[in-house]
Amino acid sequence: MGSFKLGGMTFGSLFKKPETLLYPAQTKAPYPQQKGHVENDVDECILCGMCQRVCPCHCITVEKKERRWGIDPFSCIQCGSCVRACPTSCLSMQPQCTAAAPAKSCIDREVPER
Amino acid sequence: MEFKQGFSPLAPDAVHAEAQRRRDEGWRYVQMLAVNRDESADVIYSYMREGDLENLVVEAVPRDGALDSISDVFLEAFVCENEIHDLFGIAFPGLAIDFKGNFYRLSTEKPMTIISPEQLARREKEAKAKAAAEAKKAKAADAAPEADMEAKLAAMDPEKAAKVRAAMEAKAAKAAAEANAQMEEKLAGMDPEKAAKVRAAMEAKRAKAAKEAE
Amino acid sequence: MGKATVIPFGPQHPVLPEPLHLDLVVEDETVVDCIPQIGFVHRGLEKLVETRDYNQFIYVAERICGICAMGHSLGYAETVEDLMGIEVPRRAQYLRVIWHELSRVHSHLLWLGLAADAFGFESMFMHCWRLRERVLDIFEKTTGGRVILSVVSVGGVVRDMDDATLKWICEVLDGIKGEYEQIMRTLLTDTSIKNRTVGVGAISKEEAISLSMVGPFARASAISYDVRMLGRGAYGDLSDFQPITDAQGDCYARVKVRCLEVLQSIEIIRELASKVPEGDIAVKVKGSPAAGAQASNVLEQPRGECYYYARGNGSKFLDRMRMRTPTSQNLAGMTVALKGCDLADVNMIILTIDPCISCTER
Repeated sequence: MGSFKLGGMTFGSLFKKPETLLYPAQTKAPYPQQKGHVENDVDECILCGMCQRVCPCHCITVEKKERRWGIDPFSCIQCGSCVRACPTSCLSMQPQCTAAAPAKSCIDREVPER
Repeated sequence: MEFKQGFSPLAPDAVHAEAQRRRDEGWRYVQMLAVNRDESADVIYSYMREGDLENLVVEAVPRDGALDSISDVFLEAFVCENEIHDLFGIAFPGLAIDFKGNFYRLSTEKPMTIISPEQLARREKEAKAKAAAEAKKAKAADAAPEADMEAKLAAMDPEKAAKVRAAMEAKAAKAAAEANAQMEEKLAGMDPEKAAKVRAAMEAKRAKAAKEAE
Repeated sequence: MGKATVIPFGPQHPVLPEPLHLDLVVEDETVVDCIPQIGFVHRGLEKLVETRDYNQFIYVAERICGICAMGHSLGYAETVEDLMGIEVPRRAQYLRVIWHELSRVHSHLLWLGLAADAFGFESMFMHCWRLRERVLDIFEKTTGGRVILSVVSVGGVVRDMDDATLKWICEVLDGIKGEYEQIMRTLLTDTSIKNRTVGVGAISKEEAISLSMVGPFARASAISYDVRMLGRGAYGDLSDFQPITDAQGDCYARVKVRCLEVLQSIEIIRELASKVPEGDIAVKVKGSPAAGAQASNVLEQPRGECYYYARGNGSKFLDRMRMRTPTSQNLAGMTVALKGCDLADVNMIILTIDPCISCTER
C-alpha cells in the first residue's frame, strides 16, 4: 500500500498551523538584512559618483553641478554594489521592497550644501 | 584526483584526428567554444580525463571558415558546433544533427562577431593613448637629428643646402598628405555626423595655419 | 510495423518547465528517433561581458538561470580569480560552498516536486515545495535574497555568517531532513512510481561514457564522476566524499541518485558549518586581467559539471566569458535514452534528466 506512506504527513498537517500566509491580510516581516531598496542619507552624500560607476544596471545618476542624486528603483537589481562602494556610507540597503506601481518612476533627491 | 588545466595549440586540420585520438585514449569531451578576434576567431576544444582538463586552441579561424565536425566522434558536440555556426559563422561540414543556422532564433546574423559600440570606443581610446605615448617618444627622438641636420646644412655650400632643404620640404609635404589620407580613411569609418564635424574642425585648423604663415 | 509519424513535443508542454522542443518520430506507440531543438530563450548574455566590467558581470552571470544562480556566480568568480591569481580567504570558500550546497538542496527539492507532479502525485509536489520554501528562507535571512543571492564577489563573499546563524541553518536542515526522509521513502518504495520508472529510458555505462554525460544523469549509469571529488575550494577539507552512483541507469536510478544527493548535501553543510575557519571574508581586488590571459574552470552544479572560460584583454572588461552547462552535454544522452521508449514515457525521461534550457542558451 504505497499511497498511504505520505498519509501521516498529509493527515498531520490538518492539525498544524498552515505554512502559508493569507497574503494581503497577513504579510511577512522582512528580515533585517533583506535587500529591499537603496536609501541615500543625503546629508552625508559628497556626490563623488562612485555608486554611479559601479552600478551594473546604470540606474543611479549623480549630477554634481545641480547637486542631485537619483535612482530608478524599477531598474535597480538590489545587488548592493553601490552600498559597498560608498566612501561615506551614506547609502544603505533597507529591507522594505519597492511597492508595485502602475507606472515606473525615479527617485530624485537634492543633496544640500555642506 | 587533482584538478589541472592546460592550454595548448592545435592545427586546424588536426581537429578531427585529435578528437579520435582523445577518444581512444579515454578522454571525455567537455566543450568547445569560440572567441571573437578582430578578423577571425579562436576555437577552443576541451577534453578531460580524471582531473586533467586540456584546452586545445585552434587559433585564428577566418570568418566564414570551416573546421571538421567532431560530432561523428562525440555526438554531444552537435550543440556547441551548431551554436558556434550560428553565433560566429564558422561552418562545420559533416555535422551529425545540422540545424543549418536555425539552432538559435536570432534577429542578427553572427551576433557574437559584432564589435559593440562600447568595445569600439574603448579600443579607440586605448589606441589613441598608445599613439600619443608613441608620438611623444618619437618627438623626443626626432628633435635631436633635426638640430644636427641644420648644423650640417650650415656647414655645406649654399647651392647644395638649398637642394637638400627642398628635398626635406617635399618629404614633409608627402608625410602630411599621407597623414591626411589616413585621416580620411578613419573618417570614412565614422558615422557621417561626427565625420562632418571633424572635417569642419580640420578645415578651420588648416585655414588658421595658412593665415599664420602669410 | 506501423507508419512513421512525427509528433512535435514542446516547447509548451505541461511537463516542461523550460522551452525544449522535440521532434519525436513515432511508430505505433514507440519512439524510434528524436531530434531535440532549443533556441527559444537565447538572450545573448555572454555578449554582455563586453559592456560590464568583471565585477559587474557577476550579477549578469547570476541571472542566467534562477535555480543555478549561486552556482553560476561562484563558477564565474572562481574563473576570474584564477585569471588574476587571487587567493580567496578560507572562510569565504567555506561560506561559498555552504550556500552552493544549500542551492543544490533547493534545486533537487524543486525537481522532486516537479517529478512528483509529473507522476500525478500532487500532494508530494506540495510537500517538496513546502520544504524547499524553508531553504529559501535560509537564503533570505543570510543573503537578503530568495533566488538571486548576489552574495559572491570576485575575491570572496559580501556577507558573513556568525556562529549562531550557522547553528540555526543546521537546525533548520535537521527539520527538513526528518520530513524529507519520509518523502524519500515514499518516492523510492511506492509501487505506482516504480511502475512508471523502473527500466524506463535506460542508459548503459558504456553509452554514458561514450556520450560524455555529466551530473546525476551520468552517476545513475554508474559513472563515478563528480567535480566535488576533485577537492577544490572547501570541498578539499571534507572528511569523506564519495559520489552517489547507481548501476541501473534508468529513470528510477536517476530519481534515487538525486534523492540521496539531498541528504549528502545536508551532511556536507553540517560538516563544513562545524569547522568554518576564522578570518576575512574577502580580499581587495585591484588591477585587471592581463591581455590574452585565459582560464578555465569546472564546477559541480545541481545538474552536473559546468565549464567556465574567461579571457582578459588588459582592461577591466573581459574579452570573452563562456559557460558550458550540463544540459548541453546531456542533450545527446537524452536523444539516446528516448529512442525505443513508449510515447507515454517521454515526459518521465525528459524530467528525470532535468534539462535547464535557459542555462544552455544563455
